Order: sequence, then C-alpha cells, then structure tokens
Amino acid sequence: MQVALKIWRYDSSTGERALREYEFDAPEEATLLDCLDIVKERQDGTLAYRKSCRMMICGSCGMRMNGAAVLACKVRMYEIAQAGEVPVISAMGNLPIVKDLVVDMDSFWQKFKAMKPYLQPGYEEPEDGREYRISQERMNAVHKESLCVNCGCCVSECIAMESDPEFLGPQALAKGMRFVGDPRDAATVERLEEYSGEHGIWECTRCFFCNERCPKGVDPRDAIAKLGAEAIKEGIDRDMGAKHAKWFIRSTETTGWLRETELVPKTQGVVSSVKQMKFAMKLISHNKAGLAFPPHVAADVGEARALHKLVHEQGRLGFEGHVQGERALAKLAHGYKEGRDPYAPGSFPRPYLPEGEA
Amino acid sequence: MKRVAYYKGCLASLSAKELDTSTQALAPKVGLELIELKSVTCCGAGDIHEAEPDYYLHLNARILAYAEAADCDTLLTVCNVCTLNLRQANFMLQGDANLLDRINENLKTVGVPQYSGKVDVRHLLWEIAEGEGYEKLKVAAHKGLKGLKVAPFYGCQILRPSKIMQFEDPDRPWSLERIIEACGGEAIDYPAKIKCCGFPIIQAREETALGELIQPVEQAMEAGADVMVTPCPLCHLSLDAWQQKLEAATGRKFGMPILHLSQLVGVAAGLEESELKFKRHIVDPRPALDKLRV
Ligand code: SF4
Ligand code: SF4
Ligand code: SF4
Ligand code: SF4
Ligand code: FES
Repeated sequence: MQVALKIWRYDSSTGERALREYEFDAPEEATLLDCLDIVKERQDGTLAYRKSCRMMICGSCGMRMNGAAVLACKVRMYEIAQAGEVPVISAMGNLPIVKDLVVDMDSFWQKFKAMKPYLQPGYEEPEDGREYRISQERMNAVHKESLCVNCGCCVSECIAMESDPEFLGPQALAKGMRFVGDPRDAATVERLEEYSGEHGIWECTRCFFCNERCPKGVDPRDAIAKLGAEAIKEGIDRDMGAKHAKWFIRSTETTGWLRETELVPKTQGVVSSVKQMKFAMKLISHNKAGLAFPPHVAADVGEARALHKLVHEQGRLGFEGHVQGERALAKLAHGYKEGRDPYAPGSFPRPYLPEGEA
Repeated sequence: MKRVAYYKGCLASLSAKELDTSTQALAPKVGLELIELKSVTCCGAGDIHEAEPDYYLHLNARILAYAEAADCDTLLTVCNVCTLNLRQANFMLQGDANLLDRINENLKTVGVPQYSGKVDVRHLLWEIAEGEGYEKLKVAAHKGLKGLKVAPFYGCQILRPSKIMQFEDPDRPWSLERIIEACGGEAIDYPAKIKCCGFPIIQAREETALGELIQPVEQAMEAGADVMVTPCPLCHLSLDAWQQKLEAATGRKFGMPILHLSQLVGVAAGLEESELKFKRHIVDPRPALDKLRV
C-alpha cells in the first residue's frame, strides 16, 4: 500500500524545526513504527525515534499522531492509508524534545522514582517455605494499574501538567495506586500523605485525557480517584481538594443540592475566602452565587441521607468503591456486546477515521 | 414529542438558572417534552465520585430509578459532568447484575423505586445534533445567527472518556459546529475547543486552573470569535465568571461572552430575554448579539 506521513523534524542543538512529508510503499499490515523504519532505512537515516519491543510492551515508542499520543507499534496504518489521510507525526507533549520524535524523559522518571515504586517492607512474612498469597479479589484492585508500560502517552496530554509542570501527573500517580492497593505494602498511609501534597492527587483537573490516550487500559484518572477515595477514608483530608469533595457529600445529605455559597469558605477556609470577597460580591450581584437562604431543598432528601448512612455501614469505602464498577466498565473498552464473538472480523479497535470513511 | 426525564443538576437549579429557563423554553421547539424530576439530588460531580464512590453510585442509581419511575426511556442532562456521572453509573449497573442487585436492595431499604437498567442518559447537545431533534432545530432556528462568529467549547466530560460518552470522535467532534451552522452562525475552529476550562480545581488550585482556562479564551479571541458556546454550566461558570480573574492575573482584556448551548439556539429560535436571562452573565453577551439585529 502507498503510505504518506508528515513528520515534525526538530534538532535541539540548532533549534531548527521543519514539517517534512514522506511517501513510500509499505506492507498492508504495517504499523506506524514499521513505516518510520521504512522512512529511516530508505529515505532519511537521520530520522530519530525510540523503539524496542515492537509489540506494545516496552513503552519506548510513544509519539503523537495528529496531535494525539499513541504507541507507534500499536497503530495499524492500513485504514488510514486507504482513506488517503496523511497523518502528522510529532513528539509527545509536556516533555522537552531532544531530536525529532525523541523526548527527554528525565522529569518523567524523577516523578516515577518519587513514588517509591517498590514494596515498602513490614508486611507479615509467610511461614518458611511458603509464598505470600493474595486473593484474586485484592489483586483486582491494582490490576489495571499494573498494566502500565511507562510510555508517557498520558503525561504527554495531561492538562494539569501543561499548566503546572510540577504536577506529579497521571503515570506517577497511577504507579502510586499500584502500591497503595497492594496488601503487601506496609506504607499505605505514608504514601497517601505524600501523594496528597501540593502537586499530587488533588491537582488533577479531571480532563480524562490520560484515560483516553493510555494504550494499555490503565485509566490513570481512575487510579487517581482511587487514591482520593483511600485518602479520605484514612482521614487525610487537609487539602482544599479533599475539603471541596467533603462539602459535596454534606450538601447532598442536607439540601440534596450543592450549597454553592458555602463552598468557598468550606474549601479554602474563612481567611482566604475573605480575600475572595470582592469576586464573590460580583457573582452575587449577577445572581451567580446561589442564595444562602433559604437553601434549595430537594424533595425526599432524607432518602439520600439514609443511603449515605447505609453505604457507610456496609463499609465499601476507599478504592473498593471504585473497583466494584471496573468489571462492568471493562466491557466498554473494546465495544463488548453481550453474545458477540470477540474474534469475529471487525471486532478489534480501529483508529478513528474522518466521518463517512470508517 | 419525545418524553424525556429532565435532570437539571445543581447549576441549572441554582446559579445557572438561565440554563434552566432557556432549556425549558427551547425544548418544545425541538420536539422534547420535559418531565421534571422532583425527588432527585445532585449527582455529586467528580467530587463525590472520587471521594465516596459507593455513595456516588447509589446517588446516581437513585436518579436513574426516579427517571424510570416517571416512565421515561431517556434521562436528559444539560451538564457535562452530570452526563459523565450518570452514564458511568448506568454502565456499571447495566454491566454487572450482582452490583445492580445490591444497589436495588439498598434503594428498597430507604424507599426508592427499583432500577432495571433500561434508561438511556443523553445530553441535550446530542438530542439536537442529529435525528429528529436536528430536523426540528433547523426549522425552529429561523431567526438565525447570521454573521455571528461562534467558538464552540466542548469541555472535557462530554467527549472523554469516549468509551462512556459513545457519541462522537473525542478528537474531532462535530456536534456543536453542526448546531451553530444549522442556526446560521459561523463556527470558529481552534485547538483548545476540546481541552479543559480548569473548573474542577478552580478553588483548590486556582493558579493551575487559570493556566488551563486561558487556552480556550485566548485562542477563541484570537480566532475572531464574537461569542463562545458550551454545553456545560461548569465550563460556563469557569469561562464567564473566572474570566475576570484571568484578566486580573494577566493584565489583559478578554471580554468574551459565553453562551449556554440552549441560549445560543434560543437566540436563533427567537426566545424572549425573560427566558434567556442574559443579565445574569458576568460578561454581558447582548452587545455582541446586537449585531444580529442590524
Ligand atoms: S485527568 Fe488528571 S491526570 Fe489525567 S490528564 Fe487530566 S489532569 Fe492529567
Ligand atoms: S498509564 Fe498508560 S499512558 Fe501512562 S505511562 Fe502507563 S501505559 Fe503509558
Ligand atoms: S455535575 Fe454539577 S451541576 Fe451537575 S448535578 Fe452534579 S454538582 Fe450539580
Ligand atoms: S472543561 Fe472543565 S468543567 Fe467543563 S467538563 Fe471539562 S473538566 Fe468539567
Ligand atoms: S516499540 Fe515497545 S511499545 Fe512500541
């Protein structure tokens, strides 16, 4: 098949940047990575990109295709080429470019290391000669997080990180959850304390780009939610983000609707909320701040209160509450339908194509 | 007329009443009969979902149960975050019979009707971007938005996670553009239309949030937009109310008017000011819309 690619070339030593177009013949089963190999071999030996396994497991080949982070070895080119598309290939975002499609992963690895991605000792040792056994149910809690291949596709698109490069970010936090959820790890509370800092859990803006891009189904945003739930369960709620969340819970129990007027003082504390006064007055003058009195009360709000009590009695708090929904949500990942043959033609995920050309 | 259970969510009930009044006024013109749900609460936004997921699931199951009890197949939302929360809870319940049983048991204990799993959660945007609703919209929008340059802002949670939203390509969405054009306006394109407004962390991490918010506002302005439109009242709050903080922080003047989807279509469909309630906005959209009258 005929394939055409546009590739953003960049040389950090000279600062030169150029969009080059390449056209070549490739086998029908070729991936984007195969195509880059062809370009490098036949047309331009100076093209730089990373690769190793060619099978979506080493995490080396993260890059952007039409602005979206992908693993080059996961993207099949057939349908794209058939549609006559000429995708633009560029380096990942949120990381400095070294050359062409190669980014400097230094900050990525530093955040990764900061999570202490290894078991903290202190768990009860099994008897001599026995292995430590963990139930399947417990492993399910970190199943998705364990799939991470450290490719950086999530970090590339993280909106909070675009705004604050110090944000720990989706990959590191998902890694953190992988250990918080592991029953053998003896530092759960310390970890949650650490991850609840200025650049941790509560800085995530819930844009869901990480879930959308992760080529391995880790769903880092969901991992962050698990950490948030676990932190609240452990009473680690000093952060404004945690207070904000707790105020929502209180609101649903009392009026049923969010008590917006009180949200700022409840989240930021009275002192800094006084600083927000001028801003708040403006909102109030446009009826934007809701009304403090009388609070708007939903009918039968007692039911919500009773549910909250019941849920606490049943004790499915912390990450457990998130994990219980994962089985059902996993069915959506690959267009699962009851009774459908998963190996039938057309059942594998396809790249997005322009309307009418799919 | 299509009967739908109407879930306002907190914002349209409280600080964004203009979203509620314009939606109610617009609905019959696009073939929707809104059945208002009285007993429902807040969906909990990302906050309760994150902090107490089991409670989140029960709260949302309760909303879905009341929609079913009102004999509606569709639950209509007007907020991105509500849409994600309710759709996600719905998929959890539909995809796991044991979980559904447990939640129903709890709902029964506190006197809430049972939920079978058959309600579909859909945002107003989707109802009017295709099918019947779109055909009706084209007729209703006879007053048009001729000459108005409109920058669509989707917001995150109507696009992502796409496996839950299941409506359009999250990287190349088309629904808002299609609606703007059906109303006779000109849709402006800019990269940040699919990015975030920073709302979820606007209180806890204001600086980071403002760094996110500036992207769509600045880009829409540079692309020459007269107004921006969004299907999410939280995005609206962020874009409209926090714009002044953005101006204070950057020393720049944006003055970009932000319309709710129902208001934009409402203008084209000739709704009254009492239904559109533009005076509730921080950045007054009326001067920009005045050019439609000449
Ligand atoms: S959801 Fe949070 S962690 Fe994921 S990309 Fe967005 S801001 Fe980053
Ligand atoms: S979470 Fe997913 S996208 Fe992020 S580094 Fe791991 S595998 Fe890559
Ligand atoms: S998402 Fe927001 S507006 Fe919608 S119900 Fe929940 S809190 Fe209210
Ligand atoms: S842009 Fe912000 S407020 Fe709007 S849906 Fe996304 S996260 Fe929510
Ligand atoms: S080359 Fe290893 S993941 Fe692509």
